[in-house]
Amino acid sequence: MSETILLGDEAVARGAIDAGISAAFAYPGTPSTEIYQAIEDHVKHHHLDVRGMWATNEKVSLEQAMGVSYAGRRCVVSMKHVGLNVAADPFMNSAVSGTHGGLVVVVADDPGMHSSQNEQDSRYFADFAMAPCLEPSDQQQCYDFTREAFDLSEKLQVPVLMRLVTRLAHSRSSVTLTKPRAQNVANFVKDPSRFVLLPGNARRAYASLVDKQKALLEYSEAHPVNALTLRPESDTKRPGILVSGLAWNYLQEALGDALQNYNLLRIGCYPLPVKKIRQLMDASSEIYVVEEGYPFIERYVSALGLMTERTIRGKLSGDLPRMGELSQDAIKRCFGLPIATALQIPGLADVLVNRPPVLCDKCPHTDSYLAINEVIAEFNPNARIMGDIGCYTLGAVGPLHGMHSCLCMGSSIGMAIGVVHAGMGQTMCVIGDGTFTHSGLAPLLDAARDNTNIKVFILDNSIIAMTGGQPTAATDEDVVNLVAGLGVPREHIRIVVPSPHKKKHTMDTIREELAYTGVSVIIARRACVTYAKEIKDLKEIRETKRLIPVVSA
Amino acid sequence: MNYDLVVCGVGGQGVLTMAGVIDHAIHGAGLHLKQSEVHGMAQRGGAVSAFVRISDQPVSSDLIADGTASMVLSVEPMEALRYVPLLRPDGWIVTDITPMVNVDNYPALNALYDVLFSVPRLVAVDAALLAKKAGSIKVQNTVVLGAAASHLPFPVELIEDQLRRLFGRKGERIVTANLHAFRMGDAASRFGAALLAGGVASPVLARVLPRIAFEPHAVPEDLVSAWVQRLSREDGAELARRLFEAGEAIAPDAVPA
Repeated sequence: MSETILLGDEAVARGAIDAGISAAFAYPGTPSTEIYQAIEDHVKHHHLDVRGMWATNEKVSLEQAMGVSYAGRRCVVSMKHVGLNVAADPFMNSAVSGTHGGLVVVVADDPGMHSSQNEQDSRYFADFAMAPCLEPSDQQQCYDFTREAFDLSEKLQVPVLMRLVTRLAHSRSSVTLTKPRAQNVANFVKDPSRFVLLPGNARRAYASLVDKQKALLEYSEAHPVNALTLRPESDTKRPGILVSGLAWNYLQEALGDALQNYNLLRIGCYPLPVKKIRQLMDASSEIYVVEEGYPFIERYVSALGLMTERTIRGKLSGDLPRMGELSQDAIKRCFGLPIATALQIPGLADVLVNRPPVLCDKCPHTDSYLAINEVIAEFNPNARIMGDIGCYTLGAVGPLHGMHSCLCMGSSIGMAIGVVHAGMGQTMCVIGDGTFTHSGLAPLLDAARDNTNIKVFILDNSIIAMTGGQPTAATDEDVVNLVAGLGVPREHIRIVVPSPHKKKHTMDTIREELAYTGVSVIIARRACVTYAKEIKDLKEIRETKRLIPVVSA
Repeated sequence: MNYDLVVCGVGGQGVLTMAGVIDHAIHGAGLHLKQSEVHGMAQRGGAVSAFVRISDQPVSSDLIADGTASMVLSVEPMEALRYVPLLRPDGWIVTDITPMVNVDNYPALNALYDVLFSVPRLVAVDAALLAKKAGSIKVQNTVVLGAAASHLPFPVELIEDQLRRLFGRKGERIVTANLHAFRMGDAASRFGAALLAGGVASPVLARVLPRIAFEPHAVPEDLVSAWVQRLSREDGAELARRLFEAGEAIAPDAVPA
């Protein structure tokens, strides 16, 4: 047993390592990035035999993880909430086929959208896939639940979803670590038919998943984290509280000793323990549902508000804010408790302005946008540029205003094709090197096949910068070769250097390609200024790997 | 005992590094802690903050509720004011006065300082000045940390231990710069506390403190008394204003006539 201060993400990482993982895969995304980062660092530092990589995207990472599970060993895969949309296909089907070696899918939700385009709640995905979900409320549970999740996954042969939220993933506290478990010996199952989801097999596999629901429910009903506390009866029934995950932390502080006046059911393991919920409802006059994220539990318990036997208070009823993060103050308001008075400073509002994130000084993206903006002003000031996700998304706001859409990873090229097909004529889009390999290859293949009149700017800065400098799957000449391989004519794959010094050449190149009707790719190639050292190191590693003729078994 | 601390500044100013040093010091003191922080896009020159919650009991919430923080510790003056709604009425602001102007509509400095200096419990230092004096502009955050240290609910030495541990592998020069920076900040805040105890008004002190080029050790008592006497005179407030507006650093022993 040893004690250490860990970030929620790091506690998950250590939990996975101590649970005996043989591999880990991930795609970076705030607030999940530090999970794989911590695994990689720990493995390197302690020379452990744990493999893995930053995958090309979340779907690939989950498929890689499923391969490890298929081979009988334990694997953790981590991503942010919207990443699970990308990985939805393998996730849903991994529940159907079932696992062999323990498979834990850690998904970090971002209520309040600190660094995301929505606040979707991953508990819905677990429910949808009929897979169990563990929802820790603190760093110790991050560690303990990760270890437990592997045992559960192997016991019931299902993938287990661990749901984190930003304030847990990016919050630190002391964690007690326990004795590590040895890794599994690689082995295949005797009968692989459940892994071959042909309709005949899939029906059998799905029936088996339906069967497992009873065991999962029993597991959840008996789980100590789903703790039911019924207070001694008084003259009238007491109100009850259903609280899950991180919300428990806020609830304790908001109510303090007053919590003793409420019946209480804590939830940290799904499927929902319905018997315990029934007991809580029978014993209580009304029910407050306090949960971080969507009103997932409230929706079930209140039957969308159709259930009239008890008043259910929560986010659907309007007693708690429907959007954003919870806080102890939001809960205090819900329970009619006073909020503390803060220090009052006259004139404060007059000297406070917002300080949004900005592109770094001398960032190559700035030069790319400046050149594009200037050329557009000549050709078509009303042109709209389809955008994508990365640091360069900051170019959407002032002073650059250089992109006019941002939907999801890799969407810019597909959207540009659509705009052309809508009859708006030649359309441009910007996408970074990381996002391009994540999910920009397929739409570019479509554009090349169709020779759609789009101009794709690949902003190749050699790194995934926004999440802290993870390696990109392809940069420099690899990007050129990928683009050419997808069918874009070599003469319309142009390379420019986004810098003040080369601005004229960049603008001339853009003009030339705008004069051409058909698909063009303009690669703006200059390394990120913030991660120059990391890029240099990564390029050296890449070169060394090329020199190894065969990847050892 | 509960002590809630907001550590803040602008992305790249070492806010999370400071929070990490404090975390380990709390842990070393045998206290409980929870510390939440903002990562990702916000780090690109945006406002960055970390909530550090200290207690002798296990801490539940990862967030600090409105009006309950004991201190805002900031590497930037406007950022310090951003978190005032979290401060208790008797809470402290400890901040660098060096502005980081990376937005077009940054407030006029005079107006900003007037509001900042009206904060009743304030330690305002020129951390950029003291950091350079300590040997590196990079230790600006450590100066502010030093200025906060005597207010925190654990021994100052625990933070020094963490600075040694954290910067040890970067070499003796970096360790020394950090320790000097830390001690200059600590000297500043102890000097400030002594002046307040001696009856110097807070807005007067607020304008004098940033102009003194503190040494990495406490200001001797006789000098403290001399400053108290000088600033307690009728023209104390006017002198403070003049010193601040002159913008020049003066030695602790250069008590104005």
